[in-house]
Amino acid sequence: MTDSTAPFIRLTGISKSFPGVRALDDVSLDINAGEVHSLTGENGSGKSTLAKIVNGTHQPDAGTVEIDGVPTVITKPAKALELGIVSISQELTLAPSLSVAENIFLGRMPRTRWGTVDWDRCLRDARAVLDDLRVHVNPRTAVRDLSLELQQEIEIARAISSNARLLILDEATSSLSEAATDRLLEIVAEQRDRGVGVLMISHRMPELYRSCSVASVLRDGRLMGTVPLPDTPEDALVRLMVGRDLDDYFGSRDVAPDAVALKVTDLHTLDGALLPTSFEVRRGEILGVAGLVGSGKAELGMALGGAIPSRGTIEVAGREVAITNPHQAVSSGVGYVPDDRKGQAILPNRSVAENFALAWRGTLSTLGVLRVRRESALVKDGMTRYGVVAAHENVRISTLSGGNQQKVVLGRTFARGCAVFVLSEPTRGIDVGSKSQVYALLQEQVGKGAAVVLISSELPEILGLADRVIVFHRGGVHAEFAAEGLDEETVAAVAVSGRPRPAAA
Amino acid sequence: MTLVESDPVLAAETSPADGAPARRRPRLSLGRFTGVVIALLAVCVYLALTQPVFLTWGNITNIVASNSVILLLALGATFVIIGGGFDLSSASALSATGMVLGLALQAGVPAWVAIASPILAGLAIGLVQGVLISYVKISMIVVTLGFMSILASFALIVNKGATISVYGTPGFDPVYQFVNGTIGPVPVLMIFDAVVILAAAFVLRYTAFGRSLFAMGSNQEAARLNGINIATMVLFVFLIAGLAAGLAGMVSVGRLTGAAAVSDPTLLMTAIAAVLIGGTAFTGGEGGVLGTMIGVLFLGVIQNGMTLSEIPAFWQGTVNGAILILAVGIGVLRDRGIRLRRRAITTKVG
Repeated sequence: MTDSTAPFIRLTGISKSFPGVRALDDVSLDINAGEVHSLTGENGSGKSTLAKIVNGTHQPDAGTVEIDGVPTVITKPAKALELGIVSISQELTLAPSLSVAENIFLGRMPRTRWGTVDWDRCLRDARAVLDDLRVHVNPRTAVRDLSLELQQEIEIARAISSNARLLILDEATSSLSEAATDRLLEIVAEQRDRGVGVLMISHRMPELYRSCSVASVLRDGRLMGTVPLPDTPEDALVRLMVGRDLDDYFGSRDVAPDAVALKVTDLHTLDGALLPTSFEVRRGEILGVAGLVGSGKAELGMALGGAIPSRGTIEVAGREVAITNPHQAVSSGVGYVPDDRKGQAILPNRSVAENFALAWRGTLSTLGVLRVRRESALVKDGMTRYGVVAAHENVRISTLSGGNQQKVVLGRTFARGCAVFVLSEPTRGIDVGSKSQVYALLQEQVGKGAAVVLISSELPEILGLADRVIVFHRGGVHAEFAAEGLDEETVAAVAVSGRPRPAAA
Repeated sequence: MTLVESDPVLAAETSPADGAPARRRPRLSLGRFTGVVIALLAVCVYLALTQPVFLTWGNITNIVASNSVILLLALGATFVIIGGGFDLSSASALSATGMVLGLALQAGVPAWVAIASPILAGLAIGLVQGVLISYVKISMIVVTLGFMSILASFALIVNKGATISVYGTPGFDPVYQFVNGTIGPVPVLMIFDAVVILAAAFVLRYTAFGRSLFAMGSNQEAARLNGINIATMVLFVFLIAGLAAGLAGMVSVGRLTGAAAVSDPTLLMTAIAAVLIGGTAFTGGEGGVLGTMIGVLFLGVIQNGMTLSEIPAFWQGTVNGAILILAVGIGVLRDRGIRLRRRAITTKVG
């Protein structure tokens, strides 16, 4: 099987654009049967877009797809399934109210000869698949009653049981514990030995080096190279991903942390998503906040920004403040940038200028009438100062690239001149160049004495920018580290298990 | 006159994508109204050629007068829709406020009390709806649907389903003069309409409230996180809608010389259609009152043309519905065209 001359799937010259962003640019890639092929690159480099072209979610603007040497157009996800292309992503696609067995055989329930659902076989087969994966759940259980991790395993069971020829793992391990990750990687190896091709999207180095025999690196939608693993050293791979050495990538600042700017004591939410949390951040300091999705780190940001109700005390520059709504956060000197740019930060069908002008909302009007000229001058200044590139300040913000949109959002927050900035995933979904610019803006603010709480799922970013790091697990802080000399594995271990690794402790 | 009054975004719509050098277009731009304005002019030219009455001053003032009620309701709806909301109760609120005026006139109150009564009633209706939506947190569709029914019923209850004739009541003369009088050749109502449109355009374009309204309609969560108080905004939006309904109620009574217990059932649909034809997005966050004025004029001229051409009024609904779908559909296609062109530009640049 592995000797067949044509690769299972061959992509040639694939390009794909979305409004304002070139997601993929002339990417060519072969994935062979019986091979684990890693697709890697920073967030926003086009990995998921490529995966979605292969699984039929998106259509390429240009380029061809060949399967077993035959040109094929994968018109829709159902077509991809027919071809044996199955995806497992970090977003679950289960029907929560249905049983485990029904989810495993969703859309392909075994039938009796009368055409009705063959429940006996369905349960029997489901149990067999689950046993194979060493997952011990009753196939009759409703999926919504399972833990998130077990749900992910059901998702995997569904993919395995469909006799896939190509398995796409899109950051599938990001919410799994170490043990579950281990098991998944074992399954990947088993599937590979059976002749299944695997496309593994991940930027976790240990996983790549353990499972993959080849890695393709994307940066800003372009293929930077396809290299053999594990023969390529890690720093060479990273350099391919970010395109430069890490030091000038994150920038630097010349400032010594000063007086305490933000003191948080027992901050928590009533729904238990955020357990009582206490910490301090000084002027001129960045506190990195790490943790998995759902660990409470996002809720910490929302609570500080007044986006969700919370209890506990918050002191800004030594003065206790009440933050029960976003308005109070703004007036208390806390500038919050939410993680969901499209859903929570931009006004998509308004202009760049209007989006930026939210910075001075309420302060630039006389008896309710806007001071239009002053505002327009401030907006132009701000756009220059924070490096926003747009044809004109009156174009819709949605026509800008993600990076430029984010610079508007950050710029308008910085322009408020807050004492404390709480930034949640500030570089999510933007290209490498914009990331570097965002880091530079951030360093500049901190250099001027701002205190920053940097909440991020990207560990390299936290390690590259923060002075100290706190790690969330299941709603609470489980460890605090000085960033100096800290490595990703140490932080990841706490994020996943809540405990430092024995060696690091 | 440049027609891109309330929405600078629309003016820059055709600018190239991200990163490309700015190309300023100094020429007069009709922006997104281009299609509707051209269609309106075409209809006018056709009518002017075929119906000699059409271009007479009498007919023009008639078009304005007979569409003022719809204009006022549509202006209120423009605010609600820009803010991302929807108001089903406006036509019923017009009947109810008209009945309030009718009752006040019948009771023989002084003219200024009578004139104030529908306006206050409209504001009260808006206040109650706003509080229920903003503070009790009942969904907007439920509240306005409920009020649509309650207010229509109220208008029937107060005079047992009969029209209140106000002709000859002591307070009616100022109302009548306001709605039917003229200053020189110009009807007072036409001046009033113009003033209201300009005021509404000013509020949308040049006030902090207007800015916040667009922000709320464009992305309510982003508006909230930037410190805009959504509850207060919704309350004010419904006060404006209530005020508009009250004014519409007064104009309606003045024109009919009576308060009708039942209003034209197509009124709500026509007012909202005018707003959407005028380029205000149903999804909120974009649009303006000048577009609404064009939308009202368009539907008004068509109706007038059909009357002049002796086409049965039964066809009115068909024509209005078709125009609505066409106008909004052309807008959608136009947007898609812009996106495609922009993608082409991105492809070239990127």
